[in-house]
Amino acid sequence: MDIEEMKKNADFLINNMKGMDIPGSTTVNIRYRNMVNFAKVYGITDPKYVGPEEQGVVACHAFANYFTIKAIYKLLLGFKLNQDGKERGIMLDPGKLLHAGNRYNWEGCVDVKPGDKLTVTGKCTDVKLVEKNMMLFADFLVHVKNQNNEPVCNITISAGFRKGGY
Amino acid sequence: MVKISDLKVGQVLKNEFEGITRDLLKQYAKASGDTNPIHTNDAVAERAGLKGVIGHGLLSFGFISKLFEDFLEHGKYGNIVDIGVQMRGMVRCGDLLITEAKVKKIEGKRAYFDVIQTTITKVDIKDSDGNLVKQFEAGERGYISEKDIERGLVKTKEVPEGILTYRERVATPGETIIELNE
Repeated sequence: MDIEEMKKNADFLINNMKGMDIPGSTTVNIRYRNMVNFAKVYGITDPKYVGPEEQGVVACHAFANYFTIKAIYKLLLGFKLNQDGKERGIMLDPGKLLHAGNRYNWEGCVDVKPGDKLTVTGKCTDVKLVEKNMMLFADFLVHVKNQNNEPVCNITISAGFRKGGY
Repeated sequence: MVKISDLKVGQVLKNEFEGITRDLLKQYAKASGDTNPIHTNDAVAERAGLKGVIGHGLLSFGFISKLFEDFLEHGKYGNIVDIGVQMRGMVRCGDLLITEAKVKKIEGKRAYFDVIQTTITKVDIKDSDGNLVKQFEAGERGYISEKDIERGLVKTKEVPEGILTYRERVATPGETIIELNE
């Protein structure tokens, strides 16, 4: 793909993807074993996070990685747009995707517990091209709610698409 | 007990972790579901031009949240409101990962921190005549680039066995907000 085509594709995504809700949602079922195994990676020993299930354990904050990243990746793979009469994915080559940053916000959120069924939805809030290296950056605001429609975490994910990836 | 009145602008919270190993990366891959082989298989990572496996970008994030969970005694004295991180530098097996959070401002019951995660990557140890005493993974696999040297990230210091060459680099800058109960 030449530079002109990349610029054309970048302009298209800037004009069409920014502000758009990512179609669909993903569900993540939370299991006790997954929560505890995740906490153990960090050597967490506090029973609040790794105690017996019947004693009411909750997920450690880092566990947000578990239910966010796979879900948003799945959503992005299914995110299609119509460019010049042809359907295209927002990523032309998922191998060119880079994870540039994350912001997790737990304001007004409840804890994640075993047995929760989380629903993940997202929106593209910003797209910009850095012409120096032809990297396209996009921010996605991701909302995660439990089965009672209570928020458990709101995340802004910054992704970078390398040359040929958009 | 931690109270907002105990915190001062400029105060630093810190933790160090020297256990980044291939086993830990496999454990994280299994626990997180991020099974991209560049984190667990050296041959795949080499084919991707990485010279060896790299840590998952968000593996380091967990050490930031753990720092604050420990500080707040797991919700006893307050809660984490927000953590933002940017992935800048790769974390490698054998790295020492240092997480430092410095109080930037205090407003009401909230404290705002600047967070920096730095990696110390050991390259080798040489004696005073320049003979190699010990080589680390970064030296064997060539993780240190010309750019690292140009940027002044490669340093030396005396250790009991000789002169240690290492790279000190910011891997994950970020910010954190916490809210104390009192």
